[in-house]
Order: sequence, then structure tokens, then C-alpha cells
Amino acid sequence: MTIHLSIVLFLPLATGLIGALLPARYARWAVLAGTVAVLAYAIVLLVDFDGSRAGLQYVTDDEWISELGIRYQLGIDGLNLFMVVLTAIAWVPCTLVACFREQDRPRLFFFNMGLAETAVLGAFMAQDLALFVVFFDLMLVPFYFLIGGWGTGDRVRATTKFVIYTMAGSLLMLAGAVALGVLSTPDGGHISFSLAVLQERSVSEGTQQWIVLLFALAFFVKAPLFPLHGWVPETYRSTPIVVLALLSGVLSKVGAYGFLRIVLPVMPEGSQHWQELFIIVAVFSILYGSVLAFSQDNVRLVVAYSSIAQLGFIVLGIFALEDKGAQGAVLQMLNHGLVVVPLFLIIGVITMRSGGSESLLRLGGMAVRAPVLAALFLLVTFATLAMPGSSNFVGELLVLFGTFEDKLVYGLVASLGVVLAGVYMIRVFQRTMHNRVAPAVEPREIGRIDLAAVAPLVAVIVALGAYPNFVVDRTEATTVRKIQPARAVAAEQARAPAHREVSAIR
Amino acid sequence: MDVVWFLVLSAFIFVIGAAGVIVRRDPLVILLCLELMLNAGNLALIAFARMHGGQAGQVFALIVMVVAACEVVIGLGIIVAMYRNRLRIDVDEMTELRG
Amino acid sequence: MSATDYGWLVLAFPLAGMLVTSFGWRVLPGRLPGWIASAAIGLAFLAAIGALVQIQDLPADQRSLVDSAWTYAATADLRVDMAILVDPLAVFMCLVVSGVSFLIHVYSVAYMGGDRGYARYFAYLNYFVFSMLLLVLAANFVILIIGWAFVGAASYLLISFWYRRATATYAGIKAFVMNVIGDVGLVIATFLLLNETGTVNFRQVFERAPDAFASNDVTLVFACLLILVGAFAKSAQLPLHTWLPDAMEGPTPVSALIHAATMVTAGVYLIARTHPLFELAPTAADISAIIGTATLLFAATVALVVTDLKRIIAYSTISQIGYMVLGVSVAAYGAGLFHLMTHAFFKALLFMGAGSVIGAMSGIQNIDRMGGFRRAMPFTFITFTCGALALAAFPLTSGFFSKDEILAFTINRGGGYWVLAIVGYVAAALTGFYAFRMVFRVFYGDPVPEARELEEGHLAHHDPANPMTGEAEDTDVGFPGPEHVIAERSRPMKAAMGPLALLALVAGAVQIPGVSDVIENFLEPTFEDSRFRDTAPTEGSEVIGLVVGGLISVAAIAVAFTVYVRRRGISLEWRDRFPAVHRFLEHKWYFDELYDAVFVRPAATAGSFGRRVVETDFVQGFIVGGATGVVRVGTSFARAIQTGFLRGYALLLLLGLAALALYFLIASS
Repeated sequence: MTIHLSIVLFLPLATGLIGALLPARYARWAVLAGTVAVLAYAIVLLVDFDGSRAGLQYVTDDEWISELGIRYQLGIDGLNLFMVVLTAIAWVPCTLVACFREQDRPRLFFFNMGLAETAVLGAFMAQDLALFVVFFDLMLVPFYFLIGGWGTGDRVRATTKFVIYTMAGSLLMLAGAVALGVLSTPDGGHISFSLAVLQERSVSEGTQQWIVLLFALAFFVKAPLFPLHGWVPETYRSTPIVVLALLSGVLSKVGAYGFLRIVLPVMPEGSQHWQELFIIVAVFSILYGSVLAFSQDNVRLVVAYSSIAQLGFIVLGIFALEDKGAQGAVLQMLNHGLVVVPLFLIIGVITMRSGGSESLLRLGGMAVRAPVLAALFLLVTFATLAMPGSSNFVGELLVLFGTFEDKLVYGLVASLGVVLAGVYMIRVFQRTMHNRVAPAVEPREIGRIDLAAVAPLVAVIVALGAYPNFVVDRTEATTVRKIQPARAVAAEQARAPAHREVSAIR
Repeated sequence: MDVVWFLVLSAFIFVIGAAGVIVRRDPLVILLCLELMLNAGNLALIAFARMHGGQAGQVFALIVMVVAACEVVIGLGIIVAMYRNRLRIDVDEMTELRG
Repeated sequence: MSATDYGWLVLAFPLAGMLVTSFGWRVLPGRLPGWIASAAIGLAFLAAIGALVQIQDLPADQRSLVDSAWTYAATADLRVDMAILVDPLAVFMCLVVSGVSFLIHVYSVAYMGGDRGYARYFAYLNYFVFSMLLLVLAANFVILIIGWAFVGAASYLLISFWYRRATATYAGIKAFVMNVIGDVGLVIATFLLLNETGTVNFRQVFERAPDAFASNDVTLVFACLLILVGAFAKSAQLPLHTWLPDAMEGPTPVSALIHAATMVTAGVYLIARTHPLFELAPTAADISAIIGTATLLFAATVALVVTDLKRIIAYSTISQIGYMVLGVSVAAYGAGLFHLMTHAFFKALLFMGAGSVIGAMSGIQNIDRMGGFRRAMPFTFITFTCGALALAAFPLTSGFFSKDEILAFTINRGGGYWVLAIVGYVAAALTGFYAFRMVFRVFYGDPVPEARELEEGHLAHHDPANPMTGEAEDTDVGFPGPEHVIAERSRPMKAAMGPLALLALVAGAVQIPGVSDVIENFLEPTFEDSRFRDTAPTEGSEVIGLVVGGLISVAAIAVAFTVYVRRRGISLEWRDRFPAVHRFLEHKWYFDELYDAVFVRPAATAGSFGRRVVETDFVQGFIVGGATGVVRVGTSFARAIQTGFLRGYALLLLLGLAALALYFLIASS
């Protein structure tokens, strides 16, 4: 069967538009149907995908803006296969839960949900740098409206911060992308933004260095990593919970994915140049995120800071510039998305039972009347803290092994993050589910809709825990190839440090 | 006759119009001065058209006249609206765009 | 069916039992979940026997089988299979674990009968047994780590089983975190071994280790020390022991199963499993032996003063595991594992007896409030005394043979090991003393009101309360159930305690110097590559050791009898005469206080520092403030141009036009 990526890509937007034209009470169902269809399509994709091949599959390649060398180029390989699947998986439960909660202006809300899915899918599928930038920025639009329009608390301030941060990052990346396209064009050649072409053309090492930095700033803001996470606390506090699940579970991966898709293959020398710095940023994020997650009382913020730590692990794996590390990072990108979405949905359930309070100091004892909720939360908690036996453990194991290989000390420091993760996640579980029932808490079992949203995700987590090789096997060929150029550079520099000094003097 | 003289005349009229736009405060007079500037442009266009022997310049001049007519209609409409609202007919009073 | 098929079955039954009890929690009536769970473990025990029979049929040099079910993760040079290793050591552990677990499950059927979390309890318990069996059957380090973490998780869940008790959930977290530290140690050790040998499979690692490492290679010593971190965290050895006494917050059968008989001995198993590495790195083995010895002495001293019945047994467990660690560290593998087995019997039995006494006390655990239960609870008294005799290594009981074999082996190593052995004998004297301190204080003396009531035929009842803090509780789910159970009135409990009492007394018969050698012979294929096979003590020296150990044990029990029965009050006198010593022991050598000062407070301080200073001042103030500051300056400039005066705009427009015109004029000329 032939698979058209454009159909998957624009289906959510299309259903969002249809929903916007329908009467308000049908809008939600249209978008829900769209997300389910995308999930079905993604599963077909997963079954049909040939895991042994390293190159792109299901390529769509059309002219778009030929004067600027921008093409409408989509494709799937081992790197983004599971990102697309994650997006498809994540959107269904979040939309489902949103469908059963009262919203103001439901048509606009669900249109934005659809648009957001299209934008994220586009960013993952794009094989043209300009197209990637377009979708990367497009992601901002629906989330701006979703946070600003349906958020809680001081949402204006949160939205403003979120937008300013990510816009600044996006603009830097745009500048980097344009510079890369222009500077890589050979004399007499035609400008192109296609990643395949960019990979063959080369830019001088000095240029690569600053372009990599521009990209990295954008991706670090998105991820987010220390110290560019200033937008996180307020945004996480104000965002509607279903939107937050997507923001934290899926959007944060786009940055890490961008490193593997664009930065490492296209600018290997530049990436290698900043390797040390990025690893330090990653390790610091792990420690900082973990320590702060440990000291937070707001449940959302615990997860927020734990995400910073987790993304630190992912970036650490990528910039270890080693096969196992990168492989672990790819696996961990999927895993983190899979645990964060149910985590936030469960937090949503919990806060509904506590009169809206999200403070750990005012929660507790919920397991008494909600054993199923507690059991689901427990499984998700264990997966989040990367307990051995979960797929997250394999991801972290590979990341750590990759890091130990050349950067033993950083790896050892990062292992502290594993211990801390155990502390802060089990603390959240204990303070919400265990201990005496807090006065404001009304322990009640998880509702049917929430159960239908969370249970399948937990099932996926458990299944992956038993057989993580399902992912590793399909991603390996591509991942290894993506970091190959940067590895080669690193290996060469390790071999000839003298040569480098000479060129530095010159 | 040399085309230069037409251009000189056109420039004079343009400058008069521009000066009027900047220094006058009555919107009606500003509109008149704008007409002057546009017509100075028209004059230049026609002069060049004559010089090159083409029709394009003359067509442009006609288009400019149409645009000028539209502009006057809108401008007068605004002035009437201001008058109806009992506002002072003075452009310096209209600073709504200040940042 | 081959031995590995039985190995998979050993894993499958508890897993199935867990699934049935956890998904059927709403529909399964009455005590059915308990019986289903017990049956699952019973079947696992039978499967383990099947594996035993199969493996004994094979020639001795082929008794190590690996079977892989599926590839767990394979990338680059790392390949991990979901594989089990069935060899004598694994089968031995499977038999001990599933056998003892089965009896404890049966005990729990009655003991937990009144609890509102009945099905959940058995789901957890089955999950634990599955994890423990996975741990001992794992064929590579990664699967081992998975089993390792799973038992940690099960331990967490069961410690906080009464999850509305704040003390229980706190203890659970403490145990969990210690275990995670151990996991991380194992992960790093695994990497070091993978890096040097190129594999994580046990057999290949051990085969390649002699080529990859020189003797006492720094990397290998480091790797072994990291393995020890894992082993000591799980087995509650110094300095990672503080979680085990707190783990007594869990239900008593859980203490019997996890925190006495099985999980806490996993560290001993791990050292035995990785013995080829430790023999290559004698420095690490020596460190292990020293720590084991230090722990056994430390824990025995603390057990002298603790007044909580379960915590006395917990410290005794720490101490006994110290013996086992000492044993496997000095290459007395057979002896160490023999002690592991006998300890599983008598310690499970002691906890079961303690559970029965606590039932009679209606939840109270303090031995200061107990006494005189001898007549009221004859069955409990007899079985508990059997356990105490074995713990005290009374001549001819099981603990007598196993403990003294370890010490005999240690002496035989000569040199500095003498010191370790002497410390071991000193602690053995303390062991006999504290073991019978429990017996005499609980069962002798004047009957307390609860004992009197029981003699009159009914169980005492107190209002439910937390035994540690005295907080009032209800009996709904999350707290202990309303009913208290004693062995005298419960057939399942008797059925579990009876066999264990017998085993505690006679299990030593399988390994008597000069008479029988069942365990050593059975484990021989696993440990035949040991470098210290020739250093095993002669029968003569073992017999001398047995005589010395027996004398010490009898003397210690006699002293305890004097102190607690014949001249009661003497212990109080001692306490008043040496208050500093007593306080030191009562605070458990101040380890908790030390950790609080060294780790917990700095971490909390760092957290609040991060939150207050770094977040607000640096991230929000400097970075966010800086970014918005730049934007603000830029916008204020743009705003200044927007005067709103029409003529201003017009002028700018004209100036721009003029500038353009000028540019073109100059450019064209």
C-alpha cells in the first residue's frame, strides 16, 4: 500500500477546519475523529515501515518556492518514525479528555488542537530546512491561542513569556537557516534548503560554529534546558492540562529531534566544536532540574523540572556523539513523551479531586477510594523514574553507556540524576496517593473517559518495557548514520590534536 | 520645446504641494496640496511619455487621476465625519497613532 | 522438558498469579486471592524441583544452561537478551526463594485475612516473588538489574502497604532510594565490564575477565566495588543499612519474606554469582569481607538495646547477612549460601512467631510491654524458641552448622582473616544473648494483661493505633485490618510455622563436617573455577570451630537467662551504669543523624537555594530580565518615532523620498 504523508500531515488541520464550520457541539468530535484517523494511519505506517533501511521512506517531494530553493519535502526514517507515532498517540487521549470537559468557544479550541497536531507532524516529517522552520514556527501559533485563551491563573504573563522566549529562539534559528542555505550555495549553484543537499554541501568550520549556536539556542529554549527555561514555571502553571501534556510530551522533543535531524548531519564540525559545552549544559540541566523537582510543592512544576532533567539526558545522549548514546536519546524521546502525557492527564484527574489544588502539601490519601487511579499512577511513576524494566531505563542506560564511553566523568555526574529522579517521582506518588486523606481531597475513582485515555498509554508503556528492542531495532540504522559525520570529526581530532593547533594558529 | 522645462515646472508644483502638506493644519488645504503633488507627478509622466513617444505614461496619468478622485472622496468623507462629531478641523489634534 | 523450560515456568507462575490477583481484585471473593497466590508460588516451587531434577541428570560440567526468549535491546556493541541462566546456584536460590515464599504466602492467607487490601497484598507478594526469581535466574547483568529494581519496587510497595501511615510511607521511600543508589552502582559496574569484556552476559564476562583484567586491575576493583554498592544497598550492609529497620513498618509476613528470608540476601547471591570477578580483584573481596564483619558486629550490638520486637529481628538480619557476606567474600561460597538457606528458615520463622505475638498484643510491638506469653501461646513459644536456638547457633541446630562453617573457613584463610573470625565469634556471643533476650522477655516473666486475657480464652483488643507514634487509626484500607490473628487459632499459620521450625532445627543435617556435604556438592559445578577450592578447612579444624561456636552459644544463652530470668533488673542496672554506651547503641551508632546532616539537609538546602536564588535572581532576573530589557529599550526607541503628528509622518516620507532620489542621482552620474 502506498502511504501519502501529506494526508497524515493535513488531516488534523482539515478536521479542525471542518469542525470550525460545524455547529459548536460537533466540532470536538470532528477533531477527535481526525486524531484517531491519524493514529490509525501512523499504526499502518509503523507496520509497513522497513526497519532495516537507513534512508527516507514514503518520500513526498514537490516544488514549493523554487526561486528560493525551498521544496515541499516530507519523509519518514528511523529517526522520526516514532516521533510521528508519538504525536499520533499523544493527541488522541488529550483530545478525548478535552472533548469531555466543558470548553468556552469549543470550535476555536479544537481547531487549534488540530492545527497544532499538523504543525508538530510537519516539523517531524519535514526534510527541507525551510519547511522545518515554517512548521517549527507554526507550532507556536495554536499553542499561543490555547494557553492565552483557555489557560488559568496569570495566563497573559505566561503566554507573553512563552511567546517571547520561543519567538526569540525561532528568529535565531531562522537567521541560522537562511545563513546556512545562502553560505552553503556553491558559486554558480542554485540555493537549496533540502537537508539532503545541505548535507553534501559544506560550510567552513568557523561558519558552522555560529550557525550551530543559533540552532542550539532555539532548540534549548524549546526543550527546555537550563538556563533557557525561564518560561517554564509560569507556562506550566497556566496551561490547560491537556495542552500541557502535549506541550511537555511532544513539543519538547522537537528541539532534541532537530539536533539529530539537522545540526549533527549538516554541521558536523560545528557540532563537534560545541560538544563539550552542550554536554555541560545537559548535565547541569539534569542536576538542576532534578534538585528543583525535588524541592517543588506544585505537582505540575515537579513534572516541569523533571522534564528539564529528562531533556538533559536526551541532549547528553545526542552530544555524547556515540552510537549507544544517540540511540538511547532517540528511545528516550519516545519514552518521555509516552510517560509525560499520562502523567499530566492523571494530574488533571487528581486536581479535579482536590478542589483545584495542585500543591503536594494539600494532597494525599487518594488511593483509598481510587485503587485503579493509584495503580495507573504507580506504573507511570515507575516508568518516569526510569525503573529498570521500563523502556525509559533502557533509554537512560544507553545514554549513560554512550556518555561513559568518552566522557566518563560527565556520565558519573549524570547518574546522580537517576537517583534524584527516584526521589522526586516517588515523593509525588506518595504525597498524592498515600498518607492520610487531606482535608480538601475527595478520593474518587478515575472516571471512565480518563481511564480510556490513560489506560492504553500505560499499556503501551508496559509493552515497551518488556520489548524495547521494538523501537531500538527500527531506529538504529538511521540514528547511527545521522551522527556518523560528527563522530568522524571527533575521531579525527582525537587522532591529530597537533593538526588542530596548527590550523588554529593559522 | 525641451522636456526639461516641463520637468522643472512639475518639480516646482510638487515642492509647493509638499510644503503645503507639511506646514498647513487645515485638512482641506492639505488635500488640495496633495492634489497639487499628484498633478505634478502627472505632468512629469505626460512629459516623459511625449519624450519617449509611448502611450504608457499617459495611461498612468489617467490612473493617477482616478486614484486622486478616490482619495479626495475618502479625505472629504473623513473631514465631514470629523465635522459631524464636532471635532476641530485640525490635523495636529489627531494624534491617535502616537505610540 | 529441559531445565530451562522449568526455569521459565518458575517465572511464569508467580507472574500469572500476580495478574490474576490484581485484575481480579474486585471479583475474587473472600480468601480466594490468597489461595490463588499461594498456589502460584507452590507451582513455582514444583517447577524449581523439576529444574533441579533435570539439571542433576546432566553431567557435572554441563550444568549451566542459558536460554533466551527474545532480544531485549541490541544496539552498537551492546546486546541484551531476555535470557535465563539455569545452573546449580540459580536452582538452589529458586528452591529457597519459592519454598520459603510458599510457606509465607500460606501464613499470610490467615494473617492478613482481615485486611481491607487483601487482594492487593497478594498481588504485590506474587510480584515480589516473580521479581526475586527473575533476579536469581537472570543470565546477564541487565536482566539482573531489572530483577534487582523490581524487588526494590515490591519492597517499597509492601513496606508502604499500610499507606495511610506516614511512618510506613516514609520508610518505603527510604528503602526505595537506597535501592536506587544500589541500582545505579550496578549500572555503572555493568558498563565497566561491558567496556572491557564486550558483553553483559554472565558466562562470557566471567570467561573473558581473566584475559581482560590483570589481577587487582584498578578498573576491575572499581567495578567490583560498584557491584558491592548494589549488593550492600540491597542486603542492608554498612553504610547503606538504615532502611531495613524502618522497613519493619510493613506487615509482618512481608518482613519475614522480603526483609529476612529472600530479598535482603540478594546481595549475597550477587557476590556469589560474580565470584570470578571478586577472585580476580582480591582487594574488593577483602573490603567486602571487612564491611561484612563490621556490619555483623555493629548490628549485633544495636540488637542488644532495641525494644521493638520486629526491629530486634531486623538488626539480627543485618548481622546474619554480615556473616553471609563475610562467607562469600572469603570464598566460602558453599558455606555462605548454606547460611543463607538456614537463615531463611529460622528468620522467617522468628518473624512469623513475632507476628503471632504482635497479634496477641493487638498490634503493640514493644517488648517492654510484653511478657509471660509462655502458657498462653504454647505453639508460638515452641516454634519461636526453635528459631531463636537456630539463630543463636545452639549446637546441632541448622544455624550452628552454617555459621560456624563460615568462621572456620575464615580462620583457614589465615593472616588478617583471623581478626575477622574473632570478631565473628564475639558477635556470635552477642547473637545468642539478644536472641534469648527476645525469648525471655516475651515469653517468660509475669504475664501481661494481654497474656492473661488470652489465657482466659479471648484476644486482647486495643483501639487501632500506629505502634511507632501512637496516632489513632481506623481499620479501613490503608491501615491494618480490624482482626488480629495468632498462630494458636489459625491453621494456615500453624501449617507454615511447623515445617519451618522443623527445618530450623534439622536443616543443618545436609552439611555436617565429616558426615554429609549435600550443598557443597550440589553447588560444586558453579564454583569449580574458584581459586580457593584448596583452602577449604579440614574436617578437624571445622570440628574444633563447631565446639568453640557451640560453647559460645550455650554460654551466651546462659548469660541471657541469668540477666532476664533469674536476676531481672540487672539489665537496667547496666543501662544506668553505662548511659553513654546505651545512648550510642540506642541511636544505632547515629547513622540516621549522620545521613541527615550529610545528605538530606544539603540536598534540601541546594533545592531551596536553587529555587530562591538561581530561579528568581539568575533565570528570572538576569536572563528573563535581560531579554525583556533589550526588547523594552528597542520598543521605546520605536515608540519615540511614533509621534502621531500627521505632518511628522509626511515629512519623514518626503525626506525618505528625497534621500532615495539623491542616491539615484549620485549613483547614475
